[in-house]
Amino acid sequence: MTSHWCDFQNTDVILHCGSNSVENHPVSSKWLEKAHEQGARWIVVDPRYTRTAEMADVYCPIRSGTDIAFYGGMYRYIIENLIEPNRAKYLAGEEVPEYNFEYLLNYTNASYLLDPEFEFDPATGLFSGFDEQNKTYSNHSWHYQVESESTWDTSESGAYAWAAGEGVPEFTPPVVEHPKRDMTLSDPMCVYQQFKAHYDRYDIETVCSICGMDEKTLELVYSTYTSTAAVGKAGMVLYALGQTQHTYGAQNTRAMCIMQLLLGNIGVAGGGVNALRGEPNVQGATDMGMMVNEHPAYLKWPNTSDRSSLRAWLESQTYSDGYYTNKPKFLVSSLKEWFGQAATVENDYGYDWWPKVPKKPDYTMISSFELMQQGVIKGYFNWGMNPAHSAPNAGNVRRSMANLDWLVVADWVETESASFWKAPDMNPADIDTTVYFLPAALIYEKPGIILNSGRWMQYRYQAVDPWDQAKPDYEICDLLWREICRLYKEEGGANPDPILNTKWDYYVDGKIDPRPVAWALNGYRTGDSDFSQGKVDLLKGYSELGADGSTACAMWIYSGFWNNNDAPLDASKQPIGRRNNEDRSGIGLYSDWAFSWPSNRRILYNRASADLAGKPWNPEKKLVEWTGDAWNQIDQADFVAAKDGAAVPPDDKAFFMLWEQGARLESYGMEDGPLPEFFEPFESPVDSNPLNGAVSSPLARFTDYASVKKGDSADYPIIATTYSVTEHWQTGGQSRSCPALVEAMPDQFVEMSVELAAEKGIANGDKVRVFNNRGSVVVPALVTKRIKPFTVHGETVHQIGMTHHYSWAGVFGTRDTVNDLTPNVGDPNTQVPEYKAFLVEVEKA
Amino acid sequence: MADKAILYDSSKCTACKGCQVACKCWNDLPSPTGKNENVFSGSYQNPPDINGITRMIITLEEHDAPEGSLKPVAWAFNRRSCKHCADAGCVRVCPSGALSHDEETGFVRLERSKCIGCQYCSSACPFDVPRYEESGPLSQRTTVEKCTGCLDRVAEGMAPACVSTCQPNALRFGDRDEMIALAHERVAYLKERGFSDACVYGETEMGGLHVISVLKYGVEKHGEVVSPKMSPTVAMQEVMKPVTAIGTGLTVAGLAAMFALGVGYKRRTLAYNPDTQDTIDVNTGEVVKHGDGQDELSVKEHILENLPLGKGGRHE
Repeated sequence: MTSHWCDFQNTDVILHCGSNSVENHPVSSKWLEKAHEQGARWIVVDPRYTRTAEMADVYCPIRSGTDIAFYGGMYRYIIENLIEPNRAKYLAGEEVPEYNFEYLLNYTNASYLLDPEFEFDPATGLFSGFDEQNKTYSNHSWHYQVESESTWDTSESGAYAWAAGEGVPEFTPPVVEHPKRDMTLSDPMCVYQQFKAHYDRYDIETVCSICGMDEKTLELVYSTYTSTAAVGKAGMVLYALGQTQHTYGAQNTRAMCIMQLLLGNIGVAGGGVNALRGEPNVQGATDMGMMVNEHPAYLKWPNTSDRSSLRAWLESQTYSDGYYTNKPKFLVSSLKEWFGQAATVENDYGYDWWPKVPKKPDYTMISSFELMQQGVIKGYFNWGMNPAHSAPNAGNVRRSMANLDWLVVADWVETESASFWKAPDMNPADIDTTVYFLPAALIYEKPGIILNSGRWMQYRYQAVDPWDQAKPDYEICDLLWREICRLYKEEGGANPDPILNTKWDYYVDGKIDPRPVAWALNGYRTGDSDFSQGKVDLLKGYSELGADGSTACAMWIYSGFWNNNDAPLDASKQPIGRRNNEDRSGIGLYSDWAFSWPSNRRILYNRASADLAGKPWNPEKKLVEWTGDAWNQIDQADFVAAKDGAAVPPDDKAFFMLWEQGARLESYGMEDGPLPEFFEPFESPVDSNPLNGAVSSPLARFTDYASVKKGDSADYPIIATTYSVTEHWQTGGQSRSCPALVEAMPDQFVEMSVELAAEKGIANGDKVRVFNNRGSVVVPALVTKRIKPFTVHGETVHQIGMTHHYSWAGVFGTRDTVNDLTPNVGDPNTQVPEYKAFLVEVEKA
Repeated sequence: MADKAILYDSSKCTACKGCQVACKCWNDLPSPTGKNENVFSGSYQNPPDINGITRMIITLEEHDAPEGSLKPVAWAFNRRSCKHCADAGCVRVCPSGALSHDEETGFVRLERSKCIGCQYCSSACPFDVPRYEESGPLSQRTTVEKCTGCLDRVAEGMAPACVSTCQPNALRFGDRDEMIALAHERVAYLKERGFSDACVYGETEMGGLHVISVLKYGVEKHGEVVSPKMSPTVAMQEVMKPVTAIGTGLTVAGLAAMFALGVGYKRRTLAYNPDTQDTIDVNTGEVVKHGDGQDELSVKEHILENLPLGKGGRHE
């Protein structure tokens, strides 16, 4: 999240959309309740009345998968009620306390002019640049018009002298484009005008018809939440997988960012776009780039097109302005950590030893199982995940796994994936896959680093020894790695260099250890460091990184969390080990507790908490303040506050992680369009979309796989969604091993309205069969007043919800696999599956 | 020491059940471990009620929203467990001293080793709290189970396990007066926020409870007992208590008398038939132990053998 847990207390209005945090993140309730007690209003928008809805003041039901219509309606509401009535007044110099024009005009790209070819056609639902054949966009026409250009000064005294320094790989620095702007927001091509025209279609009546909402309730939600547009007010949006698990999940996230920018809610205390991560370490896993195309720390792996060489990478990835002008330093330092002394400027720091992600085949998760079906993937390491239960269309996953020659599963219980061949629908006699099970240690059985949703890094000590032969993951990796290296050394191989040149020296007293890994993540000067001798010269932070091979750093964003050279092996003496819970800020920043990346910032983009002159919008909740000759940093500044020892006076560069340094209402960075546009889910109960001619997203991924077996609303008229309960964690490997948790929630269930139950003759607790083209499961019914049928385009539509924690593996509680029903289609930006809206039919079993 | 109390605030409770699980963990209470032995209740409320191995649960009741609410539903949560009455029927009727008032806190202490399984407490409790666990090879030993207020923790200056795990601060622990004051403050706040039926529960009920509750939607909607009263059987049982407490033999007599009166005696009742030398479950007529002719025990001893007089832990 851009904020952190303790910051919830600072908000004026809480908006839960796609999150049931008091159930799934019980700790959140503590901080939310603080805000509530201080007078904050609390809104929950959710298909069902959740435990979070019970805590809130306002509950607005929404049909699953229609969030963008909801947000689009809010944008229109803001424009119609706050911006348009006041724009002329503001430009004439009048005070407009109810809307923060200064923020909109200076900290966002509202005033930037877009390419004259930028266009959206409601008849087709397509933006300019669509390639019909490949179903992809060219983003060329989504860029800005350019006012002027400038270049980097790489001369010895220039700001970018480092780029021409010795040891720095050669690359042509990017040209800095200065976008054309219209500060009156009246040019028809300015982002604001295009934006306004785009969302003009999203009137309240249309939104209600799509979302199945009641106009009065929706207006109440809009008026309550947009009250945070007032100067000095803050609104906070909390979301989770309810937003992301859609074929347009990344656009849902964008939609929330835009809402928050329009309301001036990013960078301020009590604001932000706050993703509540499921497991404690999902944030860490995301940072680590545990995806095919994501290199650790939000950089990109090499590919076969614009990143095919180091030079190409540097030229396509380095930003022309803002903090990402430093990307060459991050990448070269990463290569230095990866390949150690073998990485030199002459061999491009080993860049070509890294694999290049091909355009085809696609090795992301959903596609991987398709490649198993095709016999392309023959062996599979399944590490700390359980796709035979958790992946969409899980039956298809099991059948795909049966095509493997071998499967390695590292986990700490025998999961469904480890026993996929024992599933009730599989015949072990037909399966030749050799399955290896590597028992892994649980979090409490090993030391290491975890990150919470608020980006806090904390060190966890080992509590107990691992069970029997179980080992920490890094120890399993070490054993495998050493054996792989031995085989390469002794027997050679097709391409030994990447393996044999990899630096692997994370040992203490001859044993693999997370502490030297921490040195690598933090970064160090290569000259005086030799891990094999226990010697390291740690960097203070990422500002010390170089692009010339003098530093190594595996995770530039973490740099600074482990920087004490006096005690490199003692976590408690490092920033990550800080345990001072005194709140100097008075607003819960707790800056002396642990370490928050980047650079111990607690609230990202905090420059936007103050006006152009550096005066905080809300003097009660200050994060940074220009005192006339310096910045008073209550939180660590997320902007250039000082340079070469001199304070940098306030300017409009509030978002310095972007080259234009103004946040994007319109963005050319998305695969599926520069503005979020409403589409129906892949499987939708309706066959029309009043907002555009394309019913569902033309860019949804994997929809043409035969295994998807799309269901029609004529056969499967009921919308289904999936979610979790507080008692269980995901596929239950951990929680279903705890008898007290199985007792507290002994089964999964299908939650349905009283109306649907009556229609189908189902009583509470009855066994119900839920089915579609992909699968059929029997689960008990939970009939409730908390779900109501929706009226969509005048018709009644039913929705059910299913929990998904049980399956056939486990000793205390088992049940059918709900993910046999979910579709294996995904988002074009992230490939995240659409678990949250699909079609089924139900009947009494 | 002033009387202590647990404060339960239903308006802060998110029904996460952390307390329910913490209670099990701290008090070493088992959970069923047979495959699919736990059966889904048809609700988020699992297990459906307190039982011989579960001292507290969070309850969830769905209602239509009160008039004027901005929301369509009211989901009323409550904490179901022993309320530690000042005027505790269970303490009054307990013949063995297993239930008594803790002088330090006012909580109702439970010493299971003293429990003889008579189950008087069950009928004496207006909240239907005491539950029983059967143990021994013939399930012949029955002992009461209920919330102890974690007196072992409290004696060490800690809050009860349920309180210490509560994230939204819906559970608090402290001096009873202070908890009552906090409850009134909260009710005033809730009323201001439109919860016109919000109330404090436990201040005066049963002489004053040591679990004070803030009930957001009023007593009934949270499934709480309206105006709890001392059971009329308590007086009768109290008459028996001095008799039963004198000695084992008289306890048997007392139990027999109570059984004859049909008052409050709920446990699985075994009787010895001197003619056949069999032990019979009075309720089912099933012979649970056959006479073997080698028996040297007297009738009285046989009855005693079948009564739960043993000392020690429940897992013997």
